[in-house]
Amino acid sequence: MSENCPVDPATHATQPRRAARARAARATDPRFDEILASANDAIISIDEAQTITLFNRGAERIFGYSAADIIGQPLDRLIPERFVARHAGQVKDFSAAPEASRMMAQRGEIYGRRCDGSEFPAEASISKFRGPDGLVFTVILRDITDRRAAEQILRGAHDELEKRVRERTAELEERNAQLQQEIHERRRAEKRLAEQARELARSNADLEQFASVASHDLQEPLRMVASYTQLLNRRYRSRLDADADEFMGFIVDGALRMQRLINDLLAFSRVGSRGKGFQPVDLGTTVAEALGSLRTAIEESGAHIRIGALPVVHGDPTQLEQLLQNLIGNAIKFRKGPEPQVHIEARREETLWRIDVCDDGIGIDPRFAERIFVIFQRLHTAAEYPGTGIGLAICKKIVERHGGHIDVRSTPGQGACFSFTLPDREEPPHA
Amino acid sequence: MRDRPIRILLVEDNPGDVRLTIEAFKDNRVETPLEVARDGIEALAYLRHEGAHAGKPLPDLILLDLNLPRMDGGEVLAAIKADPALMHIPVVVLTTSRAEQDVQRAYQLQAACFITKPVDFECFIQAVKLIDAFWLSVVTLPCGAR
Repeated sequence: MSENCPVDPATHATQPRRAARARAARATDPRFDEILASANDAIISIDEAQTITLFNRGAERIFGYSAADIIGQPLDRLIPERFVARHAGQVKDFSAAPEASRMMAQRGEIYGRRCDGSEFPAEASISKFRGPDGLVFTVILRDITDRRAAEQILRGAHDELEKRVRERTAELEERNAQLQQEIHERRRAEKRLAEQARELARSNADLEQFASVASHDLQEPLRMVASYTQLLNRRYRSRLDADADEFMGFIVDGALRMQRLINDLLAFSRVGSRGKGFQPVDLGTTVAEALGSLRTAIEESGAHIRIGALPVVHGDPTQLEQLLQNLIGNAIKFRKGPEPQVHIEARREETLWRIDVCDDGIGIDPRFAERIFVIFQRLHTAAEYPGTGIGLAICKKIVERHGGHIDVRSTPGQGACFSFTLPDREEPPHA
Repeated sequence: MRDRPIRILLVEDNPGDVRLTIEAFKDNRVETPLEVARDGIEALAYLRHEGAHAGKPLPDLILLDLNLPRMDGGEVLAAIKADPALMHIPVVVLTTSRAEQDVQRAYQLQAACFITKPVDFECFIQAVKLIDAFWLSVVTLPCGAR
């Protein structure tokens, strides 16, 4: 490529003389040529007038000039124009400096200008010695285009990395802020929950208090009303008329009924507050005990009770007995005629047991299927079927305390099936 | 068995209940000498012959309500059972409460028995009749004070 770069003919004339002089100089040492030729860097000498006196093969390769063309030319040829003035000043400064050599470009990058006018970044040192014709400056220069490019790539990669780090940091900060917000919200929710729990505990305590008031203080005046009316009736019956007897009868009935309601309410509230710990309960035994309590009703009605295989479950034995006693008791109570059929059976449903208490009684209009589980809700008059309407409310509360669910399926006139679930404890059923 | 009628101390603050208990005893049979203390403090004063109660004989049986002003039935029961001069007297707790912890506490404090007053007067008369029959006829009571 150097062949394609003609050197300015005006300055070319001085070249042979100087070249010859250089050749003479290096003839003093036979290794000199080899060192210069084999060096990868550009090695260029100039004289005090900054005329090129030596231009090795490395310099030819880097700058694109042939030594023959460039020797004798001013150094300015090799320097981009905008640096020429500064460079001249620097060489002058160096020539006066005490040191024999220095790195160039101590105040910034230096650039070389190739034969084709293109520029390249360079790294160079300059040294000087006094020769027979005055000061000789030697520049050893390396084209660092590739290094710059690599640096550029590296810088780019570094910048990219920094950018990513910044982005990631920003992301993390954002995520962190979100987390903080979530933590904050969760704490607030926890606080709300704790407040609600306290509120519930307070309201439970109030209910307990209410239950206690109901059990003692409300019954006291009631007992007075009932007892003294009865005493009145006992002592003065013959001296009053039939109306008075009837009125006294209503007073006593009212008082006794109110007492039953209070006791039922108390029993209802105690399902939650007085429940015992859970333990394995053999429902077969529980049903047998419930039937024992219902013996009179069973004998009077002539009920036929059929009992399937029942499992051992986990629960409060007293409450489960009450539950089954209420359901079986209802099955007998709401019979169509004599000898009602009651069927109790259990079946496994995935993680729970379902226990059915079915009868062939009067059934329940599905419209009322929900209502019958509400406390004191009744579908019949006290004259038709006595009771306060507490039984199924207690059943529901017991089942729910055990983590189960109770409902009813019925076709009016064809019986009802009360069905409740209890969490399965994996004990196999047995007859 | 006994050459004098049995003496009963009724500790009850409600005049209605006092009268009802008296009526129930009256309804049943004999005139039972029934002394009445209106609260726990008065009951202990009576039992210890303090003030106006000096010279009064000790009862053979105490009927004790739990819900009393000033000093409740449980405290009275504990004081009686801690007093060597009184601890031999059977105490029948007769109260409106049917609360399990009241029952438990009464027996822990060595009540002779725990009776919940029935709302129904007929039942109440029945209960008094049973108290009467059991404590006044069946049971041999320790000798009271002279």
